[in-house]
This record gives sequence, C-alpha cells and structure tokens, in this order.
Amino acid sequence: MPCPPFDPDEIFAALQAHKVRFIVIGGIAAILHGDSGVTVDVDITPSPDPDNLRRLAAALRSLNARIRTAGVDEGLPFDVSPEFLTSLGPDGILNLRTRAGDLDVAFCPTGTAGLDDLARDAVSIESPSGVPLLVAALHDIIRSKRAANRPRDRQALPRLQALLARTSRSTASSSPSAT
Amino acid sequence: MLIHLVKEARRRADLSQAELARRAGMAQSTVARIESGARTPSTSTLERLVRAAGFDIHSELTEAVDPDTISLLESRLQRTPAERLADAVLMTRFVLHGRAQILARRSGSAAPPNALPPVRS
Repeated sequence: MPCPPFDPDEIFAALQAHKVRFIVIGGIAAILHGDSGVTVDVDITPSPDPDNLRRLAAALRSLNARIRTAGVDEGLPFDVSPEFLTSLGPDGILNLRTRAGDLDVAFCPTGTAGLDDLARDAVSIESPSGVPLLVAALHDIIRSKRAANRPRDRQALPRLQALLARTSRSTASSSPSAT
Repeated sequence: MLIHLVKEARRRADLSQAELARRAGMAQSTVARIESGARTPSTSTLERLVRAAGFDIHSELTEAVDPDTISLLESRLQRTPAERLADAVLMTRFVLHGRAQILARRSGSAAPPNALPPVRS
C-alpha cells in the first residue's frame, strides 16, 4: 500500500458498515462548511464507549489500517483491537493509513470534551453513497484549532474565522425572523 | 538560500553577469560564482548585487509548514497526476454533496441528499 487513493466516502462507508459512532472533525469538516483549504485525510472523533471501540477496531481492520509514519509508505502494523484503542485513553490520537486514504482518529480533540461536546451543534448530512454523517460545527472546529495552535492551525484560523463571520451573517439574513 | 535572488534580479533587469558586476563594482567571475552556488555571499554583498539590478530585498518571518503536512504532501506526490485527479474527483464529489446539504440547512430549506448526479465511471 505505497500511497492509497483518497476516497473519504469509502472510509465513512466502512465505519458505517460496522456501526461506529463518530463525528467528522478537522480539515475535511471545515471544507464541508465552505473552507477553501486543502486536506488529504479524514479526521474523526469516535465515541469512547467500549462497544463503540470494539466496532471501531473492526472497521479499522476492514480498512487495513496501519500507523502512518514518515519513511514507511505502507505504514506500520499495530494491534487493531478494542483493548489497544481503550489503552490510548481520552487524549489518544491515531494517524492511520488505510486502503481508502489517510484517517486520523482523535478521541478528544484539543480544546473539546470529545464526541458528545462536538455533537451538540453538529450538522447531519449524508455522504454521496448515503452514509449518515455528523459534521462538527464550524465554531467548534475553530475552538479546537485555536487550542491545538499548531502552525497549520494558525495558518487556517484567520480563514476559518472569516468563513464563520460570513456564514453567520448569511444565516442571520436568511432567517425568517430577520428583518 | 537567498542566492537565487541574484540571478532572478539580474534576469528581471535583463542584465548580463558582466553588466551586473560592473554596476555592483565587482568582478564578473564573482557574480558567476555566486549564481552557481560556488560562493556564498555575505548579506551586504547580496544586497549590493540585488540593488545594482534595481531591486530591494525585504525579509519577514513566516510560519513553518509543520512536518505532518510535509509528510502527507510527500506521500501524495507518489501518486501519478492521473491518480491525484481521480482523488480530487472523489473528494470534490464528497464535498459538493455535503456542502449542498449544509447550505440547505442554513437557508432553512429541505436538504437535498442526492443533489448531485453520480460521477461517471
């Protein structure tokens, strides 16, 4: 698996096939909200519920997930088990290479309290193949990126803030109560 | 890292190495060695050459691209242009489909889950 194709829908379909409860976060969520940035991976936050981690492990196995690392194109094998996922704890992050593209799993993204926190204002959509998806709200994506404060977050934040301001204005003006 | 600016400035000013050297008050061979990378000029020499071509150098600090991004981009570069185009088509299809639904929700209209025709194979 030198460098796989990038098919987000296939990744989400695999997660859905195993009934994994998760929310879409990060760059791909921002792009869905209208961001002009570029991303080459899928970011998700799964529920840390033990049953969900069991389903997530099964989904990751079906995707041939391996740990993504520089210099090893096909990634490194790892123990794709519920026990391993549990052992990562709430701050756990997995950067994975799968047969459908790169997938990052963050159990509790920086600046958030995890899935339940992010789901509060999330948007529900369907993928092109009909997979129901929860997408983190733009203001929550900004909150997380601000807390993470990595160089790429600092580069994206002004753009995302501008997008949030613009979408907030357009939502207010299209609201039935708007004058 | 900045030595390419000498050649770029000279080319933009449409000057030969000899003419740039004359304007900067140095030997043509010095300019040639700097442009080829055989000699690393001091900052003042660099500025002198660029100014002789009619330009100034402005420096600023910018955020470094983080290693994760570099690593991801390098792995994408292993794919052929055709493969990257196919990836872009899949990504675009996914994004347009999702955006149409989010936009519909923002405007209060019904979400069109199948707003886009399937991609031709």
